[in-house]
Amino acid sequence: MKYAKLIFKNILRNKRRTLLTISSLVVSLFLIVSLATILTEFERGSDEASPLRLVSRHAVSLGFILPMAHLQKIKTVPGVKEAMPFSWFGGIYIDEKNFFANFAVDARKLKEVVPELKMPDADWQTFINDRQGAIVGAKLVKLHGFTPGQRITLKSPIYNQSVEFIIRGVYTGSDEKTLYFHHDYINELLPDWGKDQVSTFSILVNTPEDVPRVSQAIDSIFANTDAPTKTESEREFALSFQTMMGGVKQFLYGIMAAITFSLLLVMGNTMAMTVRERTKEVGTLKAIGFQRGTITALFLGEALIVACIGAAIGIGAAMLIFNSIDLGLYIPFFIKFIPTPQTLVAAFGLSILVGLISVIYSAYRVSGLTIAEALRSTE
Amino acid sequence: MALPLKYNIRNIVVRKGSTLATAFTIGLTVTVFLMVMALARGIDLTLSSSGEPLNMIVLREGSTAELNSSLTRENFKDLMYLDGVAREGETPLATGELITLIYKARKGMSQGSNVTVRGVGPMSFKLRSGFNVVAGKQFQPGLPEAVVSKRIAERFQGLDVGDKFKIQTTEYTVVGLFDSAGKAFESEIWVDINSLASTTKRENYSSVLMRVKDQNALTALTKRITDDPKLHLKALSERVFYEDQQGAASGMLKGLAVFISFIMAVGAGFAGMNTMYAAVARRTKEIGTLRVLGFSRFSILTAFLLESVAIAVIGAVIGILLALPLNFVSTGTSNWLTFSEIAFNFRVTFDLMLSALIFGAIIGLVGSLLPSIRASRYKIVDALRA
Repeated sequence: MKYAKLIFKNILRNKRRTLLTISSLVVSLFLIVSLATILTEFERGSDEASPLRLVSRHAVSLGFILPMAHLQKIKTVPGVKEAMPFSWFGGIYIDEKNFFANFAVDARKLKEVVPELKMPDADWQTFINDRQGAIVGAKLVKLHGFTPGQRITLKSPIYNQSVEFIIRGVYTGSDEKTLYFHHDYINELLPDWGKDQVSTFSILVNTPEDVPRVSQAIDSIFANTDAPTKTESEREFALSFQTMMGGVKQFLYGIMAAITFSLLLVMGNTMAMTVRERTKEVGTLKAIGFQRGTITALFLGEALIVACIGAAIGIGAAMLIFNSIDLGLYIPFFIKFIPTPQTLVAAFGLSILVGLISVIYSAYRVSGLTIAEALRSTE
Repeated sequence: MALPLKYNIRNIVVRKGSTLATAFTIGLTVTVFLMVMALARGIDLTLSSSGEPLNMIVLREGSTAELNSSLTRENFKDLMYLDGVAREGETPLATGELITLIYKARKGMSQGSNVTVRGVGPMSFKLRSGFNVVAGKQFQPGLPEAVVSKRIAERFQGLDVGDKFKIQTTEYTVVGLFDSAGKAFESEIWVDINSLASTTKRENYSSVLMRVKDQNALTALTKRITDDPKLHLKALSERVFYEDQQGAASGMLKGLAVFISFIMAVGAGFAGMNTMYAAVARRTKEIGTLRVLGFSRFSILTAFLLESVAIAVIGAVIGILLALPLNFVSTGTSNWLTFSEIAFNFRVTFDLMLSALIFGAIIGLVGSLLPSIRASRYKIVDALRA
């Protein structure tokens, strides 16, 4: 600690250089945290999936629909506590740009099957009692200014059908960008081919241990029918959407690696300049008895402090910005856009590592010079 | 009087390490910019090359994609005999097609994505150029056989020649692989339409594709079909149809490219500034000498700017070289409109490389502006005394 003052003096000696280096660190770390957050937000769906829920869809793909009649048979499978339709309607509110998910469900069972949705009991009751009713997530309210009692029209390109709903409640928790409504209600309005059909069933089981057995049992019931099912845990189902993005994930990792490497070059170059310029000083320090290790440590300390300041500002800014403006509101399919603690810690660790690696070679080299060599330096 | 270029070149060479580090920093920024733009360009080129100029596609009114569209067989008969539809002998060049999706796992993963299955008739091959079977053979009409795009077969499990996949209760055998000159169909599996219709118990078509006689007929027919209040259909040129599809994915990528490369450029600019400030500081005496020799402030300024831009251009070239191997690398992602896979290639095109080069040079110029101005402002006496 007795050298702390020396290190700080050194950092402040070339204020402009330190400032530029820190700025470079700040923007790079902000970018790394932003990109890592894109990745973690893609995964949020599967991370927050309920271990007690299963999703059953047509075995061929979501392009096929299942008959409502499957529901009664699913309910007879031992281990199934409750089951309901959970059917993608694909309704568009005014314009495609306003995309949000909307599902036809069994309003009476929604609360039990998806307990993450929080709403006052009175609102649940109004929703259940109004066949035309719908409930929306708090974030949709923020985006589109929905109010209870408002009538809104969703146009589904899948069914070529416009349907009017009345908003009966606002829920919080889980994905707050979804609208739920009564399957019974739209079922009457749909064209013949879409009647009594759903895209998926949501199934609640008693214990997480039941999941593999129940999904197998359900699939074997329908295996040889026109509408075979593929039943998997909600987590697996969410994962299947993540793998859809395909190459994009590796691509983002590649970009993050490029940013880290360029940061390493920036830091390395600055520290090399700094160390080189002080070669003569190193000679002086050695002459008055400083050991090689101490001199190396002084340089390391300098790089580490610069890296930490840059990281703290960059990561802090990302945290502040993303927590105050929720980009998740505007990005389709994203529930939130908040950096995870793991991301922040990893980014901080990364900058410390970059700081260390950037200086180690030049510091080691210059501290190894003899006094005469160092003093003779022309830098 | 301008300083000889040799002066700059020697300076760059003398500070090899520092020059290279700065050049690489700018280079990596350029690489990332190119990578993301090449991805967006790949999607754009795939989709914009997919439509034939005189083809017209008809969908159900209100549909956003073939997947959620449906036309009756009567619709098809009405459409194919309309005035303006091109004919081969007596047969109108028109075909109905049926689209569905099958979910397939990606290679090496337990999960995957939806692959488009297109039920096609004999006329489909006449209406689309570039279709080419590269392995195995073409499917036989009436049989549950399929030809799979080579790119899809490479990316998904169980779609190679000889493999089988199930749609409903029918088992299809993959008999061949095809490519189609980089068009959107390289994301698809093609089967016989009649077999697919009976398998999926679907009487209707998803879309109707027609060749029209000329450009005028295209304009007239699209308007006539779309405006007909009885038909409830929507007609558009095949080109426009595919160009509309590229919007979401490639727009998002371009936004991402601008966001990432702007921030990286700021970081690289700071780094460049640092290097140039150090160069100016180290050469203070030299600058004094040059001024004594009669070089003007302006030539000092331009010399430093030039030096920095040269470093940046070297960096940009390195960056472009790093991104170049990506050209034509095949990748795929989902079309978020339909949740189906689109396979495409990264495309590092010439104009993208040119903009990358200019982008790099601008980083160098902006980064060196302040240090160069500083260098040109030194007073001769102070500089010599430094």
